[in-house]
Amino acid sequence: MNVEAADLTRRLGRTQAVAGVTLTVDRGVYGLLGPNGAGKTSLLRMLATVLAPSSGRLRLLDGDPGDHRQCKAIRRRLGYLPQNPGYYPRFTVVDFVEYFALLKEIPAARVPRAVAAAVERVGLGDKATARLRTLSGGMLRRVGIAQAIVNDPDLLLLDEPTAGLDPEQRVAFRALLRDLGQTATVIVSTHLVEDVGAACTQVGLMDQGRIVFSGTPDELTRRGEGTDAAGDAPLERGYSAVLTEARA
Amino acid sequence: MSFSFGTARLFRLEVRRSALPWLLPVVAILFWLIVYRRSDLFPPVWSIRARAMQTATVSVFLPIVVGAAAWMGGREARHGLTDLLASTVRSRWYRQVALWAATTAWSAVAYAVCVGALYVAIGRQASWGGPLWWPVAVGAACLPVFTALGLAAGGLLPGRFTAPLVSVAAFFALETSAQLIHGDHSPWQISPLVAGPWNGGADQDLATFYPYLSDLPRVQIAFLAGIAVVLVAALGLPATAGSRRQRLAAAALTIAGLATATTAAALAGTGRLDPHGMIAIPAVHDAAADRPVPFTPVCSAAAVPVCLHPAYAYELATVDAALRPVLDQLAGVPGAPVRVSQGAVRYSSDDGGGIGARLDGRQPGGDSPEFRMVLPNQLPGPPLNAENLAAAVRAMTARDIVMAVVCGGREVTDAQEAVIGALTGDPHAPPGSPVAQAAQRFATLPAADRHAWLVRNAAGLRTGGITLEQLP
Amino acid sequence: MSVEAAARSRLLSLFLAGRRVPAALAAVAVAAITLHLALYRPWNTYGALQLPLIVEAACAAAIAGTLASPFGEPERVAGSRLPFLRSTMVVGLTAAAACALAVATVGVPLSGGVAALVRNLVGFVGLGLLCAAAVGGGLAWTGPVTYLILGVYALYTQWHGPALTTPWVWPGRPGHDPGAALCAGVVFAIGLAVYTWRGARE
Repeated sequence: MNVEAADLTRRLGRTQAVAGVTLTVDRGVYGLLGPNGAGKTSLLRMLATVLAPSSGRLRLLDGDPGDHRQCKAIRRRLGYLPQNPGYYPRFTVVDFVEYFALLKEIPAARVPRAVAAAVERVGLGDKATARLRTLSGGMLRRVGIAQAIVNDPDLLLLDEPTAGLDPEQRVAFRALLRDLGQTATVIVSTHLVEDVGAACTQVGLMDQGRIVFSGTPDELTRRGEGTDAAGDAPLERGYSAVLTEARA
Repeated sequence: MSFSFGTARLFRLEVRRSALPWLLPVVAILFWLIVYRRSDLFPPVWSIRARAMQTATVSVFLPIVVGAAAWMGGREARHGLTDLLASTVRSRWYRQVALWAATTAWSAVAYAVCVGALYVAIGRQASWGGPLWWPVAVGAACLPVFTALGLAAGGLLPGRFTAPLVSVAAFFALETSAQLIHGDHSPWQISPLVAGPWNGGADQDLATFYPYLSDLPRVQIAFLAGIAVVLVAALGLPATAGSRRQRLAAAALTIAGLATATTAAALAGTGRLDPHGMIAIPAVHDAAADRPVPFTPVCSAAAVPVCLHPAYAYELATVDAALRPVLDQLAGVPGAPVRVSQGAVRYSSDDGGGIGARLDGRQPGGDSPEFRMVLPNQLPGPPLNAENLAAAVRAMTARDIVMAVVCGGREVTDAQEAVIGALTGDPHAPPGSPVAQAAQRFATLPAADRHAWLVRNAAGLRTGGITLEQLP
Repeated sequence: MSVEAAARSRLLSLFLAGRRVPAALAAVAVAAITLHLALYRPWNTYGALQLPLIVEAACAAAIAGTLASPFGEPERVAGSRLPFLRSTMVVGLTAAAACALAVATVGVPLSGGVAALVRNLVGFVGLGLLCAAAVGGGLAWTGPVTYLILGVYALYTQWHGPALTTPWVWPGRPGHDPGAALCAGVVFAIGLAVYTWRGARE
């Protein structure tokens, strides 16, 4: 298993952001759904080794992120796109992605090809030499995705990756996710249930720091059948039904 | 109504989210270390401590407040909010003025707490007089300038280097401005560091016998107000700052502020050293401030009392003890003083920008029952502790008193020098010389015999009619 | 140059560009030129010591301005080369600033000497590094700036006693004082270690 979490908690000040999450995820695309403040970003940050858990057990890519040496090994195989990544506006697209490629210790000879491939995969080949300050919000998002995938990660963590993407790009991005999920574990935190339906093999639903549902998108859809749960699409009705049940 | 209510709400919001409170503990620690603690080293005299407070407090507040304001001034660009905020109804200038007001309010609160604590401490120790508010006012007038300077820099040049560099540059400019002051006619006296004649230092008494002249503080406050207006108005000049009408208003304010500041600096350049040690500016001078402040001296209980200004009551015991041996020997001697009183200091500037200080008025002379003196802590120089003060009074004032009795202002003869050396215990003649031997001989006489001889021969000694050989 | 060496060099240059190191070097150069020009002017004893101290603090504040990362968490989790990059940047910038200031004092009278100048700069930078780790890169300048006020006060007490003589306030000590140099060095070493390991707080 690439991700094994057992009774994982994280307290941020007086808030219990993550309240005992148990989760195992292997190869494939795992969609993390949930309302605002459910704890998705905190969980993702723990999986990205940015935030240490307050308690519980976590293993990533068969390593212990609490151990310095193993953490370094995990990070070489990790891709991460946070909700609000920073950009240095004077860098070009290639500068930015190359910078992360080099930081991720990709062998030097492979860097140019890896950078070019990542930039192409997010559809920014024609903007490779453009400075980041000249790009739109959606393009910047794609640059962020490019840096996350430049090292062909075995564990890819994406927090709201489709925010700001146009419909065409979202379709392309879902295809990219499916492709990446063939060889890696991809965890996508999102509010957009259609992304989950289109790209994810597994889905988890978080509420108040806990995972209240874990299964396939079809299973989530079935939870909404025959109920009067709110939603325009079957998956949305499943989402609403599970939340209503969890809160009851 | 809705405008004022909305403005108040915005101000309240800015006050609540200001970053300055996080840096105020740093300011408080520096104030305690550099201003409050050091204040105890100065004599507990309001004029001395209040002026030292002004100079040091301005230096402490400037870099932190300017840096913090610059940091906050650049926050819109830093957080990528420029476009979002530009789309709101309120102009950029309006937002910046609200931020400026909130930042100034925080710095004013910190300033009030720091200076309040210091003034309470001074008030507990000072034996006469009350708080001097002009130094407080000048320091307070600096705060809107510091915050406006920081906000202008941060707003116009947002970047990670703006806050640190503008903070250090402002400190550099302030400290350099003091280096440029030469004499009492320098327009650089407009610097808020200056609380009196700069070349005289901050540790001399200037405004105890006479009122604290408000000429320079008033001009400084006008200058600071002008600069603050210029800086705040400059924020409203860029095309993105607001409507055309607002920018015109900002331009008018900038010109008015510049005119005020320039006039104030020019006025500071017309200053002159007042005889009582302050900087007088003719255009704003109030002649009523030249009259001495009435006081009732505090005196020691002795046959020949030592009387000091009540502000210096804490030094009475030390001064009296230092002078008592000489005064007891001179008691009853013809021409000897019946009272020793502290006088005011008269100041004058020399061509090199230096300051001379001497006793104000003339010594009453041999026939007067009073001897007037100036205490070392009234003069330019580091403040003296009790031990050093006693030594200085013995070496200078005691000798002056004996000289006034035995010399009468003429050139000192050998016999007179021997008597002075014997009475003060501090012969200036080379050891082994006839004068030193005569002084030693006279000093070893029984006190009663020496006193009787002085009573009989003081007049002759004073006229130079007694030779070294005639001394017993 | 081998491909690996070229890649390392490229990484370093991108890292330095992202931290605005060229701008910091420009600020250091301006500070050095200001010092050089100012030292032509006759200063009183106090001003002659105070002036270099302010310029040293300006250089340290500029260096402190480079400590924040513009990239945030993706950079933090992107491998193990960051500590090397951080320490290289800080040591390089400090050395460059020390050299620039030392060169700026050639041929002009410098009170306190080059030893004091380097010591003060190193100590200031150390405080900036500690502040970056404690309160964040954006406010790292508060350390050097606060200490500048204390340093200027320490110089003032040399003439208006009682003098502040603790070696922890090193600007008040002569350049050859080993205790002051040790304190400044210790602050720099601790600051460098903390910043190298953890980076600036976000």
